Order: sequence, then structure tokens, then C-alpha cells
Amino acid sequence: MRVFYKIIACACLVSFWTIVSMHESFGQSKVITGTVIDENSQPIPGATVLLKGTSTGVVTDLNGSYRISYTGDQNILRFTYIGYQAIEESINNRSVIDILLTPDVTDLESVVVTALGVEKSVKSLGYAVQEVDGERFTKAREPNLINSLTGQIAGLQINNSTALFQDPVISLRGATPLIVIDGIPSTENDFWKINADDVESINVLKGATASALYGAIGKNGALMITTKRGSKGTKVEINSSTMFQPSYLVIPEVQTTYGNGDNGQYAYVDGSGSGTEGFGWIWGPRLDVPDPTTASGFVERPQYNSPIDPVTGERIPIPFISRGRNNIKNFFQNGLISTNNINVTSGNEMGSYRLSASHVYQKGLVPNTDLNNTSFSVAGGYKLSDKLTTDASLTYNRQYTNNFPETPYGPENYLYNLVLWTGTDVDVRNLRDYWVPGQEGFQQKHFNNTYYNNPYFQAYEYLRGYHKDNTFGQFKLDYKANEDLNFTLRSGINMYALDRTDKEPKSYVKYGRVSRGNFYIYNSAQINMNTDFIMSYKKSIGENFVINTNAGASNRFIRFRSESLNTDGLAIPNFYNVANSEQPLSGSNRLTREQINSVFGTVDFEFMNAIFMTITGRNDWVSTLPVNNNSFFYPSVTLAGTISDLITMPKPIDFLKLRTGWSRVSDGRISSNPYSHIQAYTPGINWGGSPSLVFPGALINPEISPETSDSFEVGLDTRLFGGKLGIDLTYFHIKDFNNIISVPVSTASGFTTRLENGAVFTRKGWELMLNTTPITRADFSWSIGLNLSTYQRYLTESFDGSDRFGNIMVGERTDQIFSNSQYQRTPEGRLIIGQNGFPIRDPYQRMMGHVNPDFILGIQNTFNYKNFQLGFGFDGRIGGTIYSLTNEKMWWGGTHPGTVNQFRDDANNGISSYIANGVVVTGGSVRFDDFGNILEDTRTYAENEQAIDYIAWNKTTLNANYTHYFDASFIKLREVSLTYQVPSMVLNRTFLQSASISLVGRNLLLWSNVENIDPDSGVDNLQTPSVRNVGFNVNVSF
Amino acid sequence: MAACQSFEDLQLDPNRPVQAEPSLLLTAIETNAFSSVSTGAALASRQLIFTNSTSDNQYYGWQRAGFGDYDQLRQVLKLEEEAERTNNDSYRALAIFFRSHYILKLTNTFGDVPFSNAVKGQEGNFLPSYDSQESIFIQVLEDLKMANAMLSSESGQILGDIIFNGDQMKWKRLINSLSLRTLISLSIKENNSSLNIIGKFAEIYNDPNTYPLMRGNEDNGALRYLDIEGNRYPLFNSNDLRTAYYLEKSFVDRLKAKNDPRLFSFANQTANGRDLPENDPNAYEGLGGANPLAENTNQILAGNGSPIDSRYHSDPENQPSLLMGYPELAFTIAEAAHRGWINADASAYYNEGIRASMSFNGISETEITNYLNQSSISFNQAEGLRLILEEKHTSFFLNTGWESFYNQRRTGIPTFSLSTQIINPGGIPKRWMYPQNEIQLNLSNMNEALQRQFNGQDDINGEMWLLRP
Repeated sequence: MRVFYKIIACACLVSFWTIVSMHESFGQSKVITGTVIDENSQPIPGATVLLKGTSTGVVTDLNGSYRISYTGDQNILRFTYIGYQAIEESINNRSVIDILLTPDVTDLESVVVTALGVEKSVKSLGYAVQEVDGERFTKAREPNLINSLTGQIAGLQINNSTALFQDPVISLRGATPLIVIDGIPSTENDFWKINADDVESINVLKGATASALYGAIGKNGALMITTKRGSKGTKVEINSSTMFQPSYLVIPEVQTTYGNGDNGQYAYVDGSGSGTEGFGWIWGPRLDVPDPTTASGFVERPQYNSPIDPVTGERIPIPFISRGRNNIKNFFQNGLISTNNINVTSGNEMGSYRLSASHVYQKGLVPNTDLNNTSFSVAGGYKLSDKLTTDASLTYNRQYTNNFPETPYGPENYLYNLVLWTGTDVDVRNLRDYWVPGQEGFQQKHFNNTYYNNPYFQAYEYLRGYHKDNTFGQFKLDYKANEDLNFTLRSGINMYALDRTDKEPKSYVKYGRVSRGNFYIYNSAQINMNTDFIMSYKKSIGENFVINTNAGASNRFIRFRSESLNTDGLAIPNFYNVANSEQPLSGSNRLTREQINSVFGTVDFEFMNAIFMTITGRNDWVSTLPVNNNSFFYPSVTLAGTISDLITMPKPIDFLKLRTGWSRVSDGRISSNPYSHIQAYTPGINWGGSPSLVFPGALINPEISPETSDSFEVGLDTRLFGGKLGIDLTYFHIKDFNNIISVPVSTASGFTTRLENGAVFTRKGWELMLNTTPITRADFSWSIGLNLSTYQRYLTESFDGSDRFGNIMVGERTDQIFSNSQYQRTPEGRLIIGQNGFPIRDPYQRMMGHVNPDFILGIQNTFNYKNFQLGFGFDGRIGGTIYSLTNEKMWWGGTHPGTVNQFRDDANNGISSYIANGVVVTGGSVRFDDFGNILEDTRTYAENEQAIDYIAWNKTTLNANYTHYFDASFIKLREVSLTYQVPSMVLNRTFLQSASISLVGRNLLLWSNVENIDPDSGVDNLQTPSVRNVGFNVNVSF
Repeated sequence: MAACQSFEDLQLDPNRPVQAEPSLLLTAIETNAFSSVSTGAALASRQLIFTNSTSDNQYYGWQRAGFGDYDQLRQVLKLEEEAERTNNDSYRALAIFFRSHYILKLTNTFGDVPFSNAVKGQEGNFLPSYDSQESIFIQVLEDLKMANAMLSSESGQILGDIIFNGDQMKWKRLINSLSLRTLISLSIKENNSSLNIIGKFAEIYNDPNTYPLMRGNEDNGALRYLDIEGNRYPLFNSNDLRTAYYLEKSFVDRLKAKNDPRLFSFANQTANGRDLPENDPNAYEGLGGANPLAENTNQILAGNGSPIDSRYHSDPENQPSLLMGYPELAFTIAEAAHRGWINADASAYYNEGIRASMSFNGISETEITNYLNQSSISFNQAEGLRLILEEKHTSFFLNTGWESFYNQRRTGIPTFSLSTQIINPGGIPKRWMYPQNEIQLNLSNMNEALQRQFNGQDDINGEMWLLRP
């Protein structure tokens, strides 16, 4: 084993050369030993012993013994173990320190960051919060921090995109929460700019009550991100992760039996797709059909890469075989995420700082696509005097790529070109030289130049660049006038400049057209400034009563501008400059400014350190509403009581807290456009130099006023069985009223919608968190964290007293999915077939399911065995409906494996043999109400007997046997990580303070009811294949 | 750091104007109103077939249509408002013309539609009642006369006019021509004395000083396409048009039977006929609009079937799009003369229509003369209606919206093929169902209109007022 330790230590050395030179400067190290025991004097193995203010730590062995080395700078040891109260012990030059740990029934004394950066003890909170340690995100890396939160937080739903550089969709209690970094709201929701290595913790304020102090922007809860700071002593930490994407979790399975063409016929002529080329369908002839009369032994057909007969000029037929059956594997490359961070912290009694540099490199599945994400940050604080302290941080982040793939359905999508609309008679490897010889720069080489792009041409010539510079930071001044009175001034800034370019080569196929070459530029920049001033006063009255008040004011100002410039054709191919436009350039620009001014105040009452009441109030003045309606007030009140501190609890209950809260939060921002309350013209078409204006179809009520949400929640938090089981349960109920809604109106009124205040929606659900440590043995422990949550939104009152709002009836869920392209069915659900053998369209909209799951869940398991830690987590969503465009198009185009059948062979031979599973109406009639519900039905039916062409069936109905709406339920093995913490006795012989190595995997297994797609992303517009991530992480500090 | 701004300053949107010159509205309205290229109409009118799926237009499986034209009526209302504000009668007259154009499109599609109470959302009327088709037609005929009367040398300058460049006389010609189209579309009602279709037609035709009419293609209500992004022929670069649209058999057969040179301008040779001369009719073949999809596809794969002429997808300017063209007017007058509504030479207008349509499609004078000299083409009273309406049908090829379909709906000429492949058991539908939105948002008014017209049933086979004698 010792050899193994050395290998790891050497590996670290080789990987990180910097440490050698830096080692010299550290002080003389000393050693402490000792034993950790529990209340029954039994040794506690696996307890953590940490030098406070550093990340140097060791774990106790089987006998509860530990040995840790330290330099003279550090003087406090921190002992922690799950379910036990942490203890801090001064070293005071001792060399042996034995410790007794007592079960922790109230780790709720711990402090979390709440709205406006105010720190409060968890015990005093009258609303649900959940904190996640930043360490969770730095081992098994995701391309962005938010992905890593999946399954961790009760009530937080994250839909993970499978594609490179696509934002996850995040929803907390059904709405998008605010992101706050070190107390400064970051409303642009850039999930990519936050470097996980710099995150100390994320505290999730789950509802409006928790974040009422942020006003409108905090209406949907908040993710409070606290970044790391330095501490006493000096430490250098290096964290490096490499994640490979070696295999696919989900990839569309396509048939390889039939090739390009239509009705079983195919012959390449000129790549136009018309005539014998079969219009771009994959309903062509059988592949791999033996034919002894040909040289190859297979049936041969003229193809795009056929040699040309020099005499006749005709294409010579070549074998029609499934040479492209591995096109996906041959084209896509293995992705990679490589993350490296180095940070330095240092500090003394007066202050500290932390410097951090990070780089994340992600290689995409598609060749020539990648993403770079670089961050530099500096953070620190200094005690200027006994009364005045400062804290500041500044981060520069740059996200850049010269090419990231486009993902919606269409010829811009790689899968569209690679598998969905390419028969396997085409081998992608033959397309690597992607220009037609002699037409370089003008015409890509492909088997069909009308509908599809050569994937290599697309990857290397259609380049989508993205360069974004983010700068964000804050500074804070704290003035402690006396024991009771404190003043805080904090100012923060979030700014970015984005530079987007699209280079579109000539002959590039877009939906419905072939490009003449284009260059598109889009630039935007935003600056977002926040300034708060807060005064707080704390007073104890007698022994049992404390009053704490805050009062403050804030200003928030956002300025955004953007410009776009587009060519119309390129004169010189592949020369991407707007001056190279063949026809006049077109462009547009935009400027928006918005502001919120606020005053706010809070009063906390604390009684016997067991009953806590908080009242908050805030008033906003916003620029996004008419001036006469732009002021509004938000109150909130919360109450928390630790019952177990007041009365004696029955035996298994160690701790019981009840909490409840109510808040009213309004929002005066109608949409992302701050001028949405102004009725105005929008630019229309420019016809040959004649500009125009159009009047939009949304009529705006000039008296529009803010919308309001009343949130109520109640929860309990309890610890049972000596802290072995913790349960936290919350019920929330949110009433959204006076909503600013676009009320759809009869188009005949001249408008499509009118913007009004009205309708009432109710959002409600449960959130359960459960923590347990079923096993705590000498050398082994197992802990489980489980979270489960439900959320639904209902229409409670419609607009103008109507019993419906659009398709939704009062009392119904609002997330229903309606389709108006269904076929008529009998009450039993069978297709009704018309005289031509095809199903008959349904003129009514039909409800196909619900978007939201019934519940979402996550389970995290952690096993500790000696110096090993094994963690794995499952999460998933149960219920909900997803529409799969991938599956629909596979049936439509002829690539679905289900299309390989006798009917298809018959159709290829001109025989109509497919009899749709359905009925024909033989008599009677049906009467519907206005919404398509049956009022009276006397129809009689007979089995359909009309045989039709199978290919025409699929092309026309997209295979009407399926609706292509699927149950979206899934469970994923989200993460597995195995960490080995190098024991201190090994490290003692090195300069290292701590070292660990982890093997990690993410997105490893999926259980779902949908074929060909990963329902995790929540939508399927021909999604990128879902990949497994497997890799390792190395962390050292010294 | 605090950047306190005045809230009043932040209430001004720097990106959008709150007031518009009428000329700016006119340009946008014109680009929409004169844009009339519809492959759907060509499929439903048995001019084209589609091979990518069983098209609802070709196989008569459509159900609902939309009220999108009311969006345009909103722009027209704004044009009217801004014309009032700037006190310009010319724009007001044009607003009336466009209002008439759009409401005619709507009523031809559905039957009764909201009109007198429509487009009053600004006044708070979000539940517009439906007007009877009869009252809409009566109103439109009066409005068009009023628009004609309003336009004069004193009525104000027209700017932003991409159709006639502000030429008031051309506008008057188009307005009066639209009146004649409206009147001929009511031919089934010719015996309705209170409507007095015949008298109204004659009044306009007989008084060219008060009611000037289009005199040739130079007066066409035409939108000319430009080779600029957004201004190109709408089917330019269309992948579907390049691969999946072929000519319909009855249409090709008729053109071939008549030796019509427009065939070579509408269609390309079949794959099998590629080596024959371009003007050899044997190189062209149509496919049955009512044939099974697979049969048509197999024909094409076997090298038969003429694709649409490549100019429709390869020429960014191709040909102008017509709101109404002179050929249509000539055939309209010919029909009225043939019906005895007016005292005019049906044969002369019939020949005029053919000449204008051919020259619009780039046919040379010689070819036109040769065509007209054929005995099968020359006009005769007995077959007059068939001859006029067949020529009118040909002249509408990929132009003038759904007029080709509506003229056939009114007269039954030419015959559109049917088979068991047709989705609608009632054959060629007579109308479209009202939009889904009306069920949700204006139900009782819609139901009242359905009750009045079709016994409460919203049915594509329902016969609207103008189709009932």
C-alpha cells in the first residue's frame, strides 16, 4: 500500500510542478495525536479533524485515533462527525488532544446567509432553506454549477440539456429563482460565469417569504451563493478534474435495412433531391441485397460518390450497402471536460484574501466544437479599525468558443444531418473532404444539396462564435458604532459584453433555403449596479428578550444595449466581413434602461432563544410601470418556535421546531423588455428602401398595475433517535393575483391579446428532506439524504369572471398540453379511418398531458470506510408528459426501426397492404359541444378494411398509431464518486497538508419510458445524444 | 455607485415610436395585401400536386382557417387614424380599399364574419358580433365607390407607395376593378333584385370617367419582388418547391390540348422528357391531384411528372404578385358581357385577357397570336362561360390568392377531379371552419352566426350565402 501512496503523491508532484518551489516558504511543522470518543466512551472512527481556517484535515482510524501535523500559525483544531456536535479546541502547544463528541440534536445553531446577505441562525428562520456545501460541486464536474445542483434540493427542478453550452432550465417551486452572489443580485442568470471552485456554499431560499427583502426580483426564491474567503495562515490548493464522455446514455436507434429514396427507389442524379433521388426521404430500396450479376455481389445504384463514366458522362452504379451503419460513432468524437483551479489563501488577525484562477475546457461531441471558461477572482477583507471592516471581491470571467453547435430541429442540427435524414447507404467518412472539387467555397459535397448539410462541412465551415466577458464583484463597508448599532454600505456590479458571430458558408442549407453565404454579428453589453445601505440595531431587554432591527435603502440600475448586423449574401466566399455583403446590409439596435429604488426594514423578536418572530417591509419604486402605478409595498411576517426547548419531548424526539411565514410580494416588470407598458409601433419590413411600421397585436391597458403573490408556508424540522434521523417538511401555498396577463381576445377585435391585471393562480406543494445515518460503526458509516417535492399550479379565478382562461378551466392545472393536430378517435380511443384509408383529422384541440411531473426526488448516499468515501446519488422526476420530435420524425422520414416490416417491402413493390388499426363509421352521428366533448353519439363502426400504402401512411400521418407524447418519468443514477483521502501519516512525510483523489462518474444510468431521447432535458427538439461522464479528480493543498 | 435616474426619463422607449406617418403604415400593409402567391390554392385548384404527404389542400382535408387578416385590418385602422390625424383623404381612401380587400378575403373563406363591430378592441369591444355575408358585400360595394370618389388631385399626396408610387389614377382603376370582381363573385345572386348586381356592374363599366378601370398589365395591382433579403419572391429558394411540387394532370392536359405555350413557362420537362426540346408538349406530363400519393410518387420516380418551372424557386424576382391583375378584369368583363349584364364584346375581352395573361408570363407576341388563331380557342357564345373561366383559371396560376378556387366554387368550371382518396366525404369543400380561438373567446357570437347560416353546424361543406341562388 505504501507504494501506492507514493505513486499518488508522485502523480500530484508531476501534475503540479508549482508546489515544489512554493513549499520552501512554509513554517516548521509539528504533530498532534489523540483519540476521539463518543458519549459512551466508544472510539469514533471516521471523524474529521481539521485545522481550522485551512483545509488540512485527517480522519480518525478504527480506534478513533488521529495524527495531524500543523505549522505554528494554526492554533485551533475542529472535530466533526455526522450526528455529533462539532468541537473546536485550541492547541496551545499540546501534542496530545483527546476529545469527547456529544450527539448533536441541534446543528441548527449553524448560521446561513439570508436575504440581503444577513446572516441568521437556521433555528430562527420561519421559512424553508436548504444549504449545499460548495465541495459537492468540485469533484464530479459539470460544465456549469447549476447542473450540479440537480437532485440536491427539495423543490428545485433542473432540466439538463444534452447539448454543448445550452443553459439548464431551473425552476424552484415552479418559477425561476433569483441568483445572488455575495449579496448582489445577478439577474442576467448567466449560469456559466460562476466558478464552482470559488463557491463556499449555496443556500437556497425557497420561497418569496424567504426572499421578500429582495422585492420583486426575489419573488420566486433565491440561490444565495457565498464565495470563498481566505483565513488565517497561508494555503495553496490545487484542484483538477478530468471528465471523459466515453459512451452514450441515450442515442437514437435508426434502421439500417433501407436506404435513401422514396417508395423503394433511388438513383442519384444531381443532388437536387428531386425525381429519382426521392425528395430527401429515407423510404428507399433495401440495402445489402445480394446480386450475383454485379462485380460487387450486391445490387448497385448510381450514388453521389459514384465514379463518372468518362465516355457517357453517366454515374457508374456502385453497391447499395449499409456502409454508414456506424455514422454516429464515426462522426461524433468523445467529449471531455477538463477543469483546473489553483487558489491561494492567506490571512492574519487583521484580514485575509483569496486568489483563484480557473479554467474549464469542454470538448464537444461534434468535431471542431468546444467551450472555454476562464475565471480569475480575488476576494478578501480587512479590519481597518475595531469599528470599521471591509470585504470585497472581484471576478473576471470569460466564456469563449469559436464554434458551438446549433441544436433546434432542422438542417442546422447535427443529428438531423447525420442520422435522422441520412440513409446508411451514405458513409459519413466519405464526406470528410466536404467541398465539391473545383467548387471550393461555393458548393459543399453531399448526397442531397437541397435539404441537408454535410456534417463535416457544417462542423468546419458553419461557425458559431461566442465570446463573453463578465466582470462582477462587490465591496462592503461595515461600521460598528457600538455593541448594538451597526451600519453597512454595500455596492455591487454585474457587467458583461457579449460578442456573437455566425459564419454561414455558401451552399449551407437552412430550413427552406440554401444560403448565398452570410455573416451575422450580434453584440450586446449590460451593466447592472446595486447599492444598499443598511443600519441595524440589536437590543436585549432582560434575559429572555432580544430585539433586532434593520433599516435600509437600495438602488438598482440596469442598462442594456445590443446591435446586430447582417449581410445579404457574400461576394467573396468564406470572407467574413460585413463589407463583403452582396446586397445592402441590414441591422438593428436596442437600448434599455431600468431602475428600482427601495426602502426596507426588518424587526426580529427573539424570546428565550426559542421563539422567533420576524417582520419585514419593503417599498419599491420601479421604472417599468407607468409612474402613477409604480410604487408598491411588500410585507412579510414569519414565526419559528423550537418546541423542544420549551416543553419536554417524548423519548425519540430530540428536537422539534415549527415554523410558518406569510409574505406579499409584488412585481412591476411585465417582461424582459422594461418598456412593455408602453404602447408603440414596431419596425416592419423595409421594401426596397421604403421602411415601414406595424402596430402590434397586444393591446396594453395604460393603467396596468403591479402583480402580487401572497405566499404562505408552514413547516416542521425534527431530529429523532439521538440525531440519527432528521426530517424537514414544508407545505407552501402561493396565491398569484392581480397578475399582469396577456388575455387572449378574439382576433376579430383587431388584437390578439390585451395586457391586463387579473386572474388568480394558486401554486402549492410539499417539500420533504430526510437525513439519516443508518449505520455508524467503528470503521464504517452510511448516511442518506433524501428529498422529495411536489408542485402544481392551478387556475383559481379567470379574467372577467369567465369560467376559463384560454384552454384552462377554473380549478384545473395550468400546465396542460394541448394539441390541435390529432386524429378523430372513438370514445374508446381507436382511430377513426376515412374513406381513403387514412385517419380523419380532429378539428378540436385535445389535452395530451401535463408538463409538470407529479413529484421530483433525489437520494444521496455516502459511505465512509477508513480513508475511502463512496457517494452515489439518484434523482428523477415522476409523471409529466414530453413530446418527442425525434420519434415523430423517425417515423415520418423512414428511419424508425419499427418501419422495417413487410408492409414497407410491399410498398416498395407498389403494393398497398397496410390496413390501419382503426374503425370506419358505418352509421349514426355524433354531436359535440363547442370544445369537442361528445354530447350525443349514435355512431356505429366497422373495422377498417381499406388497405393503403405503408409509406404514404407514415409520410401523411407521422404514424398515427402513436401521438408521440410520452410519459416523461425517469430516474437517473446521477453521480458516483469514490474518494481516497491520503492519510496524514503518509502526508507527514511530504510537504502536503492534504491530498485526495476521486474517481467520479455522472449521468451513468437512466430508467425511462421514452425511447431514443433523454427526458431529463424536459424537451425534445431532436436533442443531442445524452452522454455518460466518467473521470477523476485530484485535490491537494499545502 | 448609485446611479439614480428620474423615473420620467425612463418611461421613454428609445426603441419604438409611439406615432407613425401614414406612409410608413402603407408600405407594410401593401407588402401583405399584394402578396398573393399561394401553393395551397394551386393544390386545391388542381394546378399543382404535392408529393411529400397527403396534403389537406390537394386531398380536400382542411378544416379550420385563421382570422389572421384581422391583424392586417388593425394596421388598416391605424392607417385610417393616422390619415385623420394628418388630414389626408388619399390615405383614408386607401384604408377603405384595404379594409374591403381583407373583409372580402375573410367572408369568402368563412361566410359571415365580424365586420361592423370588428377591430374595435381599442374601444373595448372584444366580443365582436358577426355580420351577415350579404350585409358585408353591400357595405363593401358602397365603400369601394366611396374610396374611388375620395381619391382626387386634391385628396393629398401618397408616400411610401411601393405599388403605384403615389399615382392616384392607378389606385382608382384598381379600386373600381375590385368592385367588378366583387360583383362577378355574386353571379349566383344575379336575379336578386334588391342586390341589383347587374345594375351596379353596368353603372361602373358604363361610366369610365367616374369609374376608371385597369387598361392593361401596366395597371396591375402588383407587388414587384426585389433581390434583397425579405423582398424576394416568396417561393425563391424553397426546397419543397424544388423537389415536391409537380403539375396537375387535368391542368397540363388542358394546356396541351389547347397548345398553350404557358405550359413551358409554368413547368419543366419530366425526367424522361429532358432530352426533348423545351417547347415539345410531349416532354410534359401532369399527375392526378386525386390519385393516391404513392401512385404519383412512383410516377415521378419512374421519370414522369413535370416539376414546376425552376424560375419559381430559382429567380429571386420571378414575377410580381397580384392583388388583382388586368387579365382577371378582362375575363370578368367578358363573363359579364357573356351573361348579358353589360353591352360589351365578350370575345374581345376574352382575347384581351388571354393576351395580357400570356404577356405577363413572358410569352412572345407571335406565340400569343398563333394561340388565339386556333379555332379551339376562338370565342363562341355556346361555350363562352367554359372558355372564359378556363382561361381565367390558367391566368391565376400561382397568383391572386384563392381566386382560382373561388371562381370554380362559384361556377364549377373547370372540373376538379375527385376520388376515394379525397379526405372530405363531401368532395370539394365550400368553406373553412371558424378558428379554434373563436370557440374560446367569442363563442356566442360565433354560434349565432353558425345558427343563422348552417343550422348551427360548423362544416366545411356548408353553403354560404353567396353560393345559394
